[in-house]
Amino acid sequence: MTYLSRVRINPLRAASRTLLANPRALHGAVLAGIPDTNPDDRILWRLDTDHPRRPQLLVLTPSKPDWTHIVEQAGWPDAEGEHYAIRDYTPLLAQLAIGREFAFRLKASPVQNTDRPDKASPHRTKTAAELHHRSYRMAHRTAAHQLAWFLDRTTRWGFTIPAARTDTPAPGLEDPTDDTPPAKEVRITDRNRATFTKPGTRTPVTLTTATFEGHLRITDPGLLQAALLGGIGPSKAYGCGLLTLAPLPSTGPR
Amino acid sequence: MHTTPEAAPGQGGSQTTLVLRLAGPLQSWGDRSAFNRRDTTPHPTKSGIVGLLAAAAGRPREADITDLIGLRLGVRIDQPGTLLRDYHTVSDYRGRPLPQAGVNAKGIQKPTSPAKDTHVTHRYYLQDAVFIAAVQGPTALVIALAEAIRRPAFPLALGRRSCTPTQPIALTTVTDGTLEDILASQPWQAGQAVKDAYRRQAQQGPQPFSPHRIDLAATLDDPAGDDTLQDVPRSFAPRERGFTTRRIRHTWLNIPTGLAPTATTHPASDTGGHDPFALLGW
Repeated sequence: MTYLSRVRINPLRAASRTLLANPRALHGAVLAGIPDTNPDDRILWRLDTDHPRRPQLLVLTPSKPDWTHIVEQAGWPDAEGEHYAIRDYTPLLAQLAIGREFAFRLKASPVQNTDRPDKASPHRTKTAAELHHRSYRMAHRTAAHQLAWFLDRTTRWGFTIPAARTDTPAPGLEDPTDDTPPAKEVRITDRNRATFTKPGTRTPVTLTTATFEGHLRITDPGLLQAALLGGIGPSKAYGCGLLTLAPLPSTGPR
Repeated sequence: MHTTPEAAPGQGGSQTTLVLRLAGPLQSWGDRSAFNRRDTTPHPTKSGIVGLLAAAAGRPREADITDLIGLRLGVRIDQPGTLLRDYHTVSDYRGRPLPQAGVNAKGIQKPTSPAKDTHVTHRYYLQDAVFIAAVQGPTALVIALAEAIRRPAFPLALGRRSCTPTQPIALTTVTDGTLEDILASQPWQAGQAVKDAYRRQAQQGPQPFSPHRIDLAATLDDPAGDDTLQDVPRSFAPRERGFTTRRIRHTWLNIPTGLAPTATTHPASDTGGHDPFALLGW
């Protein structure tokens, strides 16, 4: 049984400041909400800050969690309304079928692996020498690379991105030399670079993330279910990889 | 609530209602202005609609219009439109000074002194407005008028000769029901851009409401009404122009728009429009 949770965060409280600023601290708070931690369980979460004064924490857990500690420390414990919502995820998984379209949002950490970087930092060189076989994992840091990273992998995750519904040029105005591929129904709504340290180490962790939003069309429900439950890309502990689906914005009858 | 008499006294017989759609790029419904400033009311006047019916029926200006005045009128504002001020000048093409209002002993207008060559006039129009007008009266008269609207004897105009209507003008004829019920049962006639804007406003406004119904203002002839309008013509004869009053009642009609109701009731402001819980049976 999988559950999707949404927790309201009050950004003016002291504990919230720590949670909002540090993905590692929020990772700890999320894990503290699950009583029986099985090492095989994949816990995915994402911090949505569409409303800067009402950030929301989304968490996907294999077992039913309890968010009382986050509400007490970083929410509005005595306020009206629903402090957190926990819903069974099965209705969504039952809706996955070939050809169905959904709106999606994904915060991911696009990376590439290479064993011959152009410029390796001294730290990288040192760790690579210590670990022998490990190649370098480097973040994609431009929007173009991040988008290409995403679009290259969508079929592996069981969906495709439909072409954007843009108007074709008027007759005679097409550019015959224009060979760029047609635009897709996806855009990067947020890009971020966060740096934080883990206790006991002096080398900071650097996290480069991009948030993708758009439309997807399911091509393989099995792969998509694996991507939904298992997450996408690296840094899943730090709020990356949770793919959420929502109804397409209705355009209504014309 | 108000009840409509099914038949006006002295007319007898069955009543029929003709529903008109008054739409065009420009409309101008003047009710009281004279001289150089020509206002428009925000909704069609009775004199304008009686004149439109009389023109369709081919009645000359001097003809009797008592039967048309006796029709009960109800107007619904489907699309209010926007106000246009037309800056307009008038001068004599021969280069002579314009005449003044006063006349000499022979009854001829005297020239202005000092000489004035140009009048500046302001004419107001409604741009891009759509109205539904329902006229109710004896069946024989209304059926004849509906036929005349479809084959008009004189060109039809929306309050002013320069304001041509778009088709269709005569929507339908209804044989039963009160004027208010008939106005409330007609579908929303607004243009697609206005409908789209209404749906966007309904979905994104600060207080979300559902776009599948809309409140439209309406004005109905009502002997027990609480307001009066002086726009009932006595005659259209050039030398016998005059207007009397009619009692009216303003109301709001809640009609279906034909747009789909909004699916989600969750406030979208916190989620940026992406609500994963909408698929989980919320």
